[in-house]
Amino acid sequence: MRARQPDLRDDVVRDGVRIAYEVYDNHGPTVLLMPTWSIIDSRHWKLQLPYLARHFRVVIFDGRGNGASDRPTAAAAYADREFVADAVAVLDATETDRAVVAGLSKGGHWAGLLAGLHPDRVSGAILIGAAVSLLPRDPARTVYPWDQELDTDEGWAKYNKHYWRRHYRDFTEFFFSQALSEPHSTKQREDAVEWASETDAETLITTEMADEIGGEEERRVLESIRCPVLLIHGTDDRIRPHASSQYLAELVGGTLLTIEGGGHCPQARDPVIVNRAMRRFVESVNRVSARELSEVRS
Amino acid sequence: MRAAVPDMSGQVLSDGVRVGYEVHGSGDTTLLLMPPSPITHSRSWKAQVHHLSRHHRVVTVDGRGNGRTDRPDEARDYEPAAMVADITAILDEVGAGKAVLVSHCHAALWTFSFAALHPDRVAGVVAISPGIPCLGEPNPNWVEVGRHWTEDPEDPEGWLMCNPAYWRRGGYENWIRFWFDLLATEAHSTKQVEDMVGWALETDAETMALAADREAPDATRQASVDLCRSLRCPVLVIHGSDDRCQPPSRGEEVAELTGGRFVLVDGAGHLVAGRDPVLINRHISSFVDEIEERPMTSHTWTRGLDRRLRALYVSSPIGLGHARRDVAIADELSKIQPDIHIDWLAQDPVTKVLEAEGHSIHPASRWLASESAHIASEASGHELHAFQALRRMDEILVANFMVFQEVVEEGNYDLVIADEAWDIDHFWHENPELKRGSQVWMTDFVGYLPMPEGGDHEAFLTADYNAEMVEHIARFPRIRDRSVFVGNRDDLVPDLLGPDLPSIRDWTEEHFSFSGYVTGFAPPGPDQAAGWRRDFGYGDDEKVCLVTVGGSGVGRALLERIIEAYPYARKEMSELRMVVVAGPRLDPGSLDVPDGVDVVGYVHRLHRHLSVCDLAVVQGGLTTTMELTAARRPFLYFPLKNHFEQNRHVRYRLDRYGAGRYMDFESSTPEDIAAAMAGEMARPVDYLPVETDGAARAAHLIAELT
Repeated sequence: MRARQPDLRDDVVRDGVRIAYEVYDNHGPTVLLMPTWSIIDSRHWKLQLPYLARHFRVVIFDGRGNGASDRPTAAAAYADREFVADAVAVLDATETDRAVVAGLSKGGHWAGLLAGLHPDRVSGAILIGAAVSLLPRDPARTVYPWDQELDTDEGWAKYNKHYWRRHYRDFTEFFFSQALSEPHSTKQREDAVEWASETDAETLITTEMADEIGGEEERRVLESIRCPVLLIHGTDDRIRPHASSQYLAELVGGTLLTIEGGGHCPQARDPVIVNRAMRRFVESVNRVSARELSEVRS
Repeated sequence: MRAAVPDMSGQVLSDGVRVGYEVHGSGDTTLLLMPPSPITHSRSWKAQVHHLSRHHRVVTVDGRGNGRTDRPDEARDYEPAAMVADITAILDEVGAGKAVLVSHCHAALWTFSFAALHPDRVAGVVAISPGIPCLGEPNPNWVEVGRHWTEDPEDPEGWLMCNPAYWRRGGYENWIRFWFDLLATEAHSTKQVEDMVGWALETDAETMALAADREAPDATRQASVDLCRSLRCPVLVIHGSDDRCQPPSRGEEVAELTGGRFVLVDGAGHLVAGRDPVLINRHISSFVDEIEERPMTSHTWTRGLDRRLRALYVSSPIGLGHARRDVAIADELSKIQPDIHIDWLAQDPVTKVLEAEGHSIHPASRWLASESAHIASEASGHELHAFQALRRMDEILVANFMVFQEVVEEGNYDLVIADEAWDIDHFWHENPELKRGSQVWMTDFVGYLPMPEGGDHEAFLTADYNAEMVEHIARFPRIRDRSVFVGNRDDLVPDLLGPDLPSIRDWTEEHFSFSGYVTGFAPPGPDQAAGWRRDFGYGDDEKVCLVTVGGSGVGRALLERIIEAYPYARKEMSELRMVVVAGPRLDPGSLDVPDGVDVVGYVHRLHRHLSVCDLAVVQGGLTTTMELTAARRPFLYFPLKNHFEQNRHVRYRLDRYGAGRYMDFESSTPEDIAAAMAGEMARPVDYLPVETDGAARAAHLIAELT
């Protein structure tokens, strides 16, 4: 059973792609929970939803490529700008003027882009283990080319499109053993592997070939962010190095919550500290925006 | 002693009236603390100032008619408009463009009026038990007081003593005593009542009568409603549910009308800021934090299983004895738990020992208000009223608890070891939701005992304090996870904790584990003792009498008396040599001594000298006397007058060991002392042995919680 059922389930269609979203009604500010890489769906927020929904209105959607959303087959459909546009479409469809946006990993990358490109829609951004394209991945991951046949399938050699086609499940098990590097993470890994089984190798291969907003272009967008930003990053993150969030905190003037000993998915593995930090951040953002609003009105 | 001394104090002239104020601390936000007057003055914020001024600039005011402010003799000088003008004058004087105004009782009318007139100068308002007239349910007692206000009642009782004619005829003090007894609805509020009565008696009946008459001359319900509605700043209202002066419904309505937050303190009375200081301090702090809109700061949170075992050791700074035993216990604990990291929250003189031994002193230690300086300030001659000195240490205990609580909230300590850290134990019981980690409570005595001179009232007070402790432990057994008595069952005095309370023995046996005595070092063997004597220059043919009063700065009177006794003693013991240790706080040159007496200042490792002397003359502190007992040296001890621990608990313990000779300072002449010295030196030492494994036993009791 899920800990909390949505008050509304619906979808919005963009360029023929159906994006499924849910709304958890409440008073107060809205929190928009972003999808992450299509390997898993929006259930990666399952430990946040019931808590956040008790305090805020929550809007959440499955990213294209997983969950209840469509799985388009063209790489162009998985471009960064499409995910950002999906977020805007969901805000529109749910009549949400502004929200605090939160994203994990790839979702953190999109949350940052959304905040920079649509400042009028975002009052604050929470970037967890953010996988921004302007910064390199963990060096251990870049030893092997992704699209060439390899003569090994040890370790990060599994991050390879040919291996995905041959042993998709084994790849997901490996990937999440790295993403959830903390001891005693069996349940979190099982969850992630199961969610990964709801999409397939071809879909993930397609996402890997999509256009990114990275490098200088992304830096300019992130630099332009004016809303408060909270970054959360584990020191044992094997997917994206902790140093990348230190860099981002400088770049956007954000606050960094470091989880000593934490891996890539602290929202799954350390839900209590993450939930409380998120709530505190949303409340502080909301106080500031309420004051600005009343100043404008008076 | 006060917990905090002001950085600046002065008076500002406001319409010809000199208004006293003090400034503590610095910070972006200024807090103005406004007491109601003339019934009290700025000292009524004593439990708030140290804490708040560690984070903000705090300005305290003496309102008109009390403290260091004039007592004008015109009624109009006490009208709210005059008080509002005083706030303006003080904010201008200290250069505060804007401030958070904190008030108690009817001072709320002044701060609210100021905020209404100068909204740009008020960042927020905190009103404790606000006395905004005509709001909430009417208090029938005040209605009755009002009805008789202009009469001159013959023999008024109760509330009707609140009458200017009665005050002017000498009834003011009766009224004040009745009034604060009535307001202190919480049990165990003796100190708060004494304080309030004392401050109220710093003004006089005439001033009180003039001011009370003009407290709220134009009060109407509509005016109060309009005033509250006109506030534009954030408002926090705090009110006790049992407030007999301002009904809680009044505070609730003030909050409603101002759009403020209402905090009801259930079970609290009108003196809530003094009686629940920790809660009030925290509410004010978080209110100011919200106003300041401090953004979240970057920080690290460590996953549970990645954390090292951490303990915070808090060692009482009253006397040096705790420091040495606590270091010994910490060393033993580290042997059992090699991975443990111990931080010390400590102050002088404990820090001297810790620094010498290379222990980790928490940087927040610098914020602690000095307990040892307070104790020294309470002593005079050969007297220290230990119980009253502890009571008067109340604001220092609050100040230091607030520091401690911040440290444990940030430090992820698994364990807090509190060796007679009264502040921690007391305020965790008073605010049980604040507890962090496990607590090991350690003490070498249990129970306050009255001294005969204090009479019935002191017996009542000690019993009340003991009763509070008994109730605390009964209600919240989870606050002390382990209680360690530094000593043995037989060391416990047989007295009752109070007339209707259990005996100290029974109660302590039920609630404590016993570590045996902890000296902190092993006495020397014969060879080592001989070596030390050679090193110290103590000849085999001389009898060395060591006279010491420790490092407390209390004790000149005793040293002088013993020096006077020396010629008499020398007559009986020609080989007698006297070494007087003046300690770090007394100037050795200031003591006039005859031949045969050496005076030295600070002595490193004094306990080694004590353990090889032929006779010692000391005060009645437990540490030194037990060191002598363990080293099996003859000694005379002179407990400080009115020091209940030295005269009752320590003496009882030494009697059990058969150690030392008790001496009464007041009645002992130099001849008596000389005779006692000779007698004690001639007496065979048959003391009970003192265990040497106390530190290890204490450490094992602690380690069971890790």
